[in-house]
Amino acid sequence: MLKTFITSFKLQNTYRVNSIIYSIKQLPVVKRILPNSLYKSRGLKIFANIISALWELTSVFIGKIIYIASMIFMALSLYNTNSSDTFIHLFVFLTLAGGVLNTYMLNPTKDKYYAIILMNINAREYGLSNYYYQLLKLIVGFLPFTIMFGMIANVPLWVQLILPFFILSVKLIVMNYCIYNFKKTNKASNENLPNKFVWSFIGICLLLGYGLPAIGITINSTIFLFICIISIILGIYSLIKIHSFKDYKKMYKKILTESNVYMQEKNTGTQAMKNVSLNQIELDKRYTSNKFGFAYFHELFVKRHRKILTTAVKKQSLVILALIVAMIIGINVNSEFKAKTNEVLLVYLPYFVFIMYIINRSSSVTQAMFMNCDHSMLTYRIYRTPKVILGIFKERLKTLIVINLLPAFLIGGGLALLLYLSGGTDNPLNYVILFVSIISMSIFFSVHYLVMYYLLQPYNVSTEIKSSTYKVVQGLTYLVSWYMIQIRMPIFSFGIATIIFCIAYSLISLFIAYKFAPKTFKLRI
Amino acid sequence: MKLVIKNLKKSFDKKQVLKDINFEFEKGKIYGLLGRNGAGKTTLFNCLNEDLEIDSGKFFIEEDGKQRKMEADDIGYVLSTPNVPEFLTGREFLKFFIDINKKRIKKEKTIDEYFDFMKIENEDRDRLLKDYSHGMKNKMQMLVNIIASPNVLLLDEPLTSFDVVVAEEMKQMLKEIKKDHIIIFSTHIMELALDLCDDIVILNKGLLEEIDKNNLDNEHLKNKIIDALKEEE
Repeated sequence: MLKTFITSFKLQNTYRVNSIIYSIKQLPVVKRILPNSLYKSRGLKIFANIISALWELTSVFIGKIIYIASMIFMALSLYNTNSSDTFIHLFVFLTLAGGVLNTYMLNPTKDKYYAIILMNINAREYGLSNYYYQLLKLIVGFLPFTIMFGMIANVPLWVQLILPFFILSVKLIVMNYCIYNFKKTNKASNENLPNKFVWSFIGICLLLGYGLPAIGITINSTIFLFICIISIILGIYSLIKIHSFKDYKKMYKKILTESNVYMQEKNTGTQAMKNVSLNQIELDKRYTSNKFGFAYFHELFVKRHRKILTTAVKKQSLVILALIVAMIIGINVNSEFKAKTNEVLLVYLPYFVFIMYIINRSSSVTQAMFMNCDHSMLTYRIYRTPKVILGIFKERLKTLIVINLLPAFLIGGGLALLLYLSGGTDNPLNYVILFVSIISMSIFFSVHYLVMYYLLQPYNVSTEIKSSTYKVVQGLTYLVSWYMIQIRMPIFSFGIATIIFCIAYSLISLFIAYKFAPKTFKLRI
Repeated sequence: MKLVIKNLKKSFDKKQVLKDINFEFEKGKIYGLLGRNGAGKTTLFNCLNEDLEIDSGKFFIEEDGKQRKMEADDIGYVLSTPNVPEFLTGREFLKFFIDINKKRIKKEKTIDEYFDFMKIENEDRDRLLKDYSHGMKNKMQMLVNIIASPNVLLLDEPLTSFDVVVAEEMKQMLKEIKKDHIIIFSTHIMELALDLCDDIVILNKGLLEEIDKNNLDNEHLKNKIIDALKEEE
């Protein structure tokens, strides 16, 4: 078993190292200098190995400290109950929820798929050895932090020491139950797709965990001792059962299906992602088009993708409308709220850059455009003639702007209305600027995403994103929008600046797109 | 009319895939392009279709003694994996293609006539392309490439996904239309190349060369091709 474990560890390390080298090769300037033979380079391999080892080491601790700090420790201040008891209380219920959510063994990861399905490594040895390794990591990773945070929260030392073993026992019990279930029903399910029972169980755990302390009820260390003893006894029993189970291969065959394994990486654009996109297509015989040429082509695209286009925007608009109505009621009922709203509205316009960024649909729409349309159409030479590219670009631009305008109108109009109702402003021009700047932000994001898509066309034939420049631009867009959250500026100055920027950016980028898109808009090979 | 390729070169990193391609393809013939796995057949097609930029050399159309650039209209490329816009029905896809090629289609037929020509059943014509089988998508891809009647047709392993009956129909269809086109047909299947193609061209070690049939019978020709492909540098 040790041999299998070492093999699997080496295997995992190899593709981790290769991924590191691959990502280095994807960096904009660097990729031109580095040759393919990089994967053979010894020095670089050692460097990547060190990164890989460091990653493995930090992965042991990093998740655990974040988990305990954010989910448990920070929550303590919310309650008036005894901090030690609350700490234990939250820990127990979150452990129960986490136990069913992540067993390690039944998580359909790519390394398991490679090893067991593709390379036919002994499933039992592979599964068990990696499972034990994960459990070991769990103990080593949790112990320092149960002690550290436990001490701050005045938890008794023996509880600090035993908590990691409690988690371990819960994991074992759940795993044993899964195996028991598999033996009985011959079914093993993907734990990343929990069914409604699992969800309800988690919901109940969270409710009891975070809810009971709010009304003054918590588990104390005596009850915990009792729970702990039972869990550890059951845990040992489970461990024996898990170790003696023989049919791992059969069980893994059920879990490690392609769709399960690749579902995990929806965002990286694999075949699974293509299938997701395909499911967005709806055929409704009532929707046809009387147009001609690319207008016809585009209109059908829009109508067949209502789910992600118009329907999504309509839902968004309803939520926005509801929020505005709630705000209006709030303003009328509570005078303090009214004054506060007015104050906030006058300086929080930069915040809305981020909101407009979040609600803009263009990023997912251009993705669907590629997956369901351009991916196939770009192979036709005629589709890549300047006339067709620019013709369709124009149609798409119109659609994207119009679709995103509906929520923008509501937000812009709503904000102006709220400003007026909450006490108004000295400068009446502020109403207009507020409205127009929100509209121009919306148009800016629509233009931005479409132009980037046409200029950088980031996907290759197998629908993977191959352009690191595109990723960088996406990241920057996010960062800039996010940065705006921190800024407080009066409506007048920020609004005028935004409007000028958006108009200038849109005009320049459209000019560039018109000039270069016929050259840049093609499949990456 | 001829498609002339001169000194075409293409490398990836340091690997020279196409070393020095020189060839003249003539109208009215089907050329069978044979090559081993990874020989660069698809790369050659991608270069001609301008999906890939070439490193050096040129290719052009020669008509009545005059040279001109090969335009988008001149070329139709049928890939081995079918690529069709999945959100359209077969009928809508054809309509779109006829629309954007309106000026170039000499004798426009009705959409149903095109379907009949390609033997696509009535009941399938108004279904979404995403629900078409692999072979049916391939048929559609072939059909739209033929509608515009491009001068040069590049077919990358097009018959492998068809069942025997359809493959036979497609072979007949290609023979029917070949008089107006330059058809280059890449395949791994030698029998198919010998049966369908007028000339056999092999891509080996980055070079393109014609196999001289020289009145050889099929068996001898086969051996000659295999010898040529096996040749060491």
